[in-house]
Amino acid sequence: MELFALFISLALINNVVLSKFLAVCPLLGVSKKSSSALGMGAAVTFVIVIASMITHVLYYQVLVKFHIEYMDLITFILVIASLVQFVEMFLKKVSPPLYKALGVYLPLITTNCAVLGTTLNNITDGYSFIEATVAGFAVSIGFALVIYIFATIRERLEIASTPEGFKGVPIALITAAIMACAFAGLAGLV
Amino acid sequence: MIEAVAVLGIIGALLGAMLGIADLFLKVENDPREDYVMSKLAGANCGGCGYPGCQGFAAALVNGEATQVSKCAPTSKEAKDEIVEYLNTTPGPDGSTLSVKL
Repeated sequence: MELFALFISLALINNVVLSKFLAVCPLLGVSKKSSSALGMGAAVTFVIVIASMITHVLYYQVLVKFHIEYMDLITFILVIASLVQFVEMFLKKVSPPLYKALGVYLPLITTNCAVLGTTLNNITDGYSFIEATVAGFAVSIGFALVIYIFATIRERLEIASTPEGFKGVPIALITAAIMACAFAGLAGLV
Repeated sequence: MIEAVAVLGIIGALLGAMLGIADLFLKVENDPREDYVMSKLAGANCGGCGYPGCQGFAAALVNGEATQVSKCAPTSKEAKDEIVEYLNTTPGPDGSTLSVKL
C-alpha cells in the first residue's frame, strides 16, 4: 500500500516534469509526434528504472563500503551514460525508424536531468531497493504520461489557428504551463 | 583517494566490458563507405553540421541526406577533398554513386 502511495505521489502529484520542472528539454524536443513521444517515454522508462536499481546497489554496496560517498555523482553519470549507450545500440538494431525519429534526443537522455535527479533523490530520501525501483518506475511513467499528453495536444495545435507570434514553441510552453496548473490540482490526493 | 580511483576504474571497466559484449549481439551492418567517411572526419563531435555527432553526419552523407561536406568545420580541407573524391567515385552496396560537393 505504501509503495502504491509512493507510485501515485511520484507519477502524478510530484510529477517530474510539471511540478519539479526536470526533463523539460526532451518534453519540448520530442513532442511533435505522439508516436515518437511514446518511444521517448519508453526509452526513458528503461533508463530510469534500470539506473535506479544499479545506482542503489552501487551506492550502498560499493561507495558506502569504501567511504567514498562523495563520488556518487560521477558514478551515477557513468552508469546512466552506459545505459543510454546500450539503449541506443538496441534501438538502432531493433527499430531504425524510432532511432531516426528520436535523433539527437536519444543520446541526450544521458543529460536528461530527470534520470540523474531520480537516482540522487533515491539516495537522499533513503529509499530501500524496492522503493527506489518503484520510485524510478513512477517517475518515468509520470514523464511518459506527460510527454504523450503534451504531444497529442501539440499535434492538434499544429492545425489550430494560433496567432503568428505564438506559433511553435511559445504556444507549447503556454500549454505546458496550463498542464502544470491542471496537475497541481491533484495535490493532496495521497 | 586511491580507493576512489580504483573503484571508479573498476566500475568503468565493467560497464565498458558489458557494452562491448552487447555490441557483439546488437551490431548493425553499416554501409562500408560510412566507416571511411567517419575515419576522415575530424571526430570533434561538435554537432556544428546539425547532425547528432560525426557518425550521424557520416551516415547522412552516405545515404544522400547531406550533400555538402563543408558543413563540417573542424575537418581539414584536404580530408574533405578526399571525402568528396571517395564518395563521388565509390559505388555503394546498390551499385550507384553519390554526387556530393565540397
